Amino acid sequence: MPDYNLRLIIPEIFLFLWALFIIAFDLGTKRKNPKLIGYLTMGGIAATAVLLYLYHGGISFNNMFKSDPLALFFKVIFLGSAFMAVGSSFDIIAQKIKNHRGEFFGLVLFSTVGMMFLASAGELISLYIGLELTTIPLFILAAYYKDDRISVEAGLKYLVIGAFSSAILLYGLSLLYGLSGTTDIVMMKINLALLYLNTNGIGWALLMAIVMVLAGIGFKLALVPFHMWAPDVYQGAPTPITALLSVGSKAAGVVAFMRIFIDGLYGFADAVMFPLDWGNIVAVLAAAAMILGNISALRQKNIKRMLAYSSIAQIGYVMVGMVAVSELGVGSVGYYMFIYLFANMGAFAVATIFNDNTGSDSIASYAGLSKSSPMISAFMAIFLLSLAGIPPLAGFAAKFFVFAAGIQAGYTWLVILALLTAVVSLYYYANVIKMMYFAPDNPTIKLNTPLSANIVLIIGVAGLIIFGVYPEPILNFALDTARVFGF
Amino acid sequence: MIPIGHFLILSAMLFAVGAAGVIISRNLLIMLMSIELMLNAANLAIIAFSRMNNIVDGHVFVFIVFAVAAAEAAVGLAIIIMIFRNRESINADNFSLLKR
Amino acid sequence: MLDLIIFYFAAVIAVGAAVMMIMQRNPVASVLYLVVSLVAQAILYVQLNALFVGALLIIIYTGAILVLFLFVIMLLNLRGEHFGGKQSRMGRASKIAITVILFAEMVAIFKQVAIPERIGTQAAAVAEDFGSVEMVASHLFKEYLYPFELTSILLLVAIVGAVVLAKRDKTEKMEDA
Repeated sequence: MPDYNLRLIIPEIFLFLWALFIIAFDLGTKRKNPKLIGYLTMGGIAATAVLLYLYHGGISFNNMFKSDPLALFFKVIFLGSAFMAVGSSFDIIAQKIKNHRGEFFGLVLFSTVGMMFLASAGELISLYIGLELTTIPLFILAAYYKDDRISVEAGLKYLVIGAFSSAILLYGLSLLYGLSGTTDIVMMKINLALLYLNTNGIGWALLMAIVMVLAGIGFKLALVPFHMWAPDVYQGAPTPITALLSVGSKAAGVVAFMRIFIDGLYGFADAVMFPLDWGNIVAVLAAAAMILGNISALRQKNIKRMLAYSSIAQIGYVMVGMVAVSELGVGSVGYYMFIYLFANMGAFAVATIFNDNTGSDSIASYAGLSKSSPMISAFMAIFLLSLAGIPPLAGFAAKFFVFAAGIQAGYTWLVILALLTAVVSLYYYANVIKMMYFAPDNPTIKLNTPLSANIVLIIGVAGLIIFGVYPEPILNFALDTARVFGF
Repeated sequence: MIPIGHFLILSAMLFAVGAAGVIISRNLLIMLMSIELMLNAANLAIIAFSRMNNIVDGHVFVFIVFAVAAAEAAVGLAIIIMIFRNRESINADNFSLLKR
Repeated sequence: MLDLIIFYFAAVIAVGAAVMMIMQRNPVASVLYLVVSLVAQAILYVQLNALFVGALLIIIYTGAILVLFLFVIMLLNLRGEHFGGKQSRMGRASKIAITVILFAEMVAIFKQVAIPERIGTQAAAVAEDFGSVEMVASHLFKEYLYPFELTSILLLVAIVGAVVLAKRDKTEKMEDA
């Protein structure tokens, strides 16, 4: 009989039940109080984090559920992004979503549960379901402004692309399953290596599997050339959901990528394995992502589209660490995603607050914001400068480690390109700051922020400054995750 | 008995037809059905591989993919209903509000 | 020999119906073609000793999911003008071209695979009860209990989501009135 160690999935079970509780609570109460539900949701996420601290370490369900350092690290990122997304959505809930408020928070939690299951998946079937459980609630959430045509269309676009990509991923997984004869990722690694050595001509099928899995996960990551949905969906979806898409769902894609490629296909990321060398394939895609993302971001007028293209570029930087396939590589990717959480969630939180107060998303309308709301402008400047990678903010350390991993693994050309595009990115991040601080005076309203949004902003800024000056604890934790892959 | 390769080639054909349907169809419902077809092509490959490797795991995989497909179809159809109420159209050409 | 005849029969129907499905303008016809394609695929499942899953394919897919499609089409009360304009000859040609190219690529790759000894040969004989309800069930509820339970969450999410999206908001209407 297999081992069913339920202790390890207590955090997930709790979060799932909490989501049900939130939905039921909202349905059951007569006087709707969106703030109360919001705080309950945030409390539930915080409680899950505590449970995660209490119950982790070990494997369960026949190696299908792994509560290892990698899973733990990424679960912290998922919970953080859900916490910050919920925290910044209070005004939207009060103003724009009149119905199904409980379900809004419930679905955010469902998606987070999916990410947590995905991070722990030690086997292809659970991984596939985890990915679906992550994305299906996000389809619904993207279309949550039911009367807003742009939001509905964003939901539709995300649904079609998401379902299409998951079908491609499934076909890739079926090939991996068929060639290796197992769904367990560790067994798969061994079987594929043996198969490659013993069987002639298996390479093409394996190449097809790699390409299809890469395409399937690439869609979730918005990696070039699978990125075309991202700007449209990011623009149309409610802003906190956009933030969750750009951080939580992306981090989920990153961990799925690690589980399949760095763990399952370890050993193929080498130039001698051409054409199976996924390391160089991904490196080329990363280069394309950095160039295309940064150049396209330059001419955006809408802050959400600008951040969408910026996040396409950011995933390119993440992939620089990923292709290194080393201890520093895995660790730096984890660290990057952790810092990206604070910077991107913070930037989207400011965009949400601005939209709630002014109803506008255009960058031009940020003109003169520093006069009316100096605090929020300063926060936004910190978030954007961190995304650009300016020291002493944490974004600099994150980029530094990722690039170091790239150099160490011999991807010097990629790192040089990354540095050049990082300089380009400075221009569009600085453009927003220029608008806020140096644009000719433009009477803007003073932004009112709910308490919860202030909490989110403070968490974001504190994270960027503290981990920028003192990166060791998180970096050590991130490097510890590489142990999972035996580095 | 039939060589397993036959089934794999057939599943590749079905997958290609489904992918082409998603790419080219202008009708949202047919796009969704094409995705279902792609999932089924993958299912056929899984079943064939399962037979080849003589392990039943693949059947469990397919069983679970059915559930996933049902969930996807339910949400997809709900979004299509919503968009039809909004726009009175299910023609994909009509959806280009978001600028390129 | 009979096996092979049945295989080709089912394969031609499966692919032919799939091609017809994506060529339709009317979604009702598409659903029916997809049903035909899936029934033909179920025959192939049976040839691969997957009796139980083959039965599920018919029961769940054609019986539930595709009926849901039909139900939605009826609910929306689609008429001719909703199907979009008539496809130009170019559109139809490009559909066929893309399908053929995609298909050729995949077949070329599989040819490479299918020739080597592993896949090219006929699969070894399997146990009598391979793919039976008992065998699949014992795998599903013992080894694969965890992913099985995850699907229950997934289906719950889909229900919640479908209700949220498809429900007409009553309060909104009342406020308007």
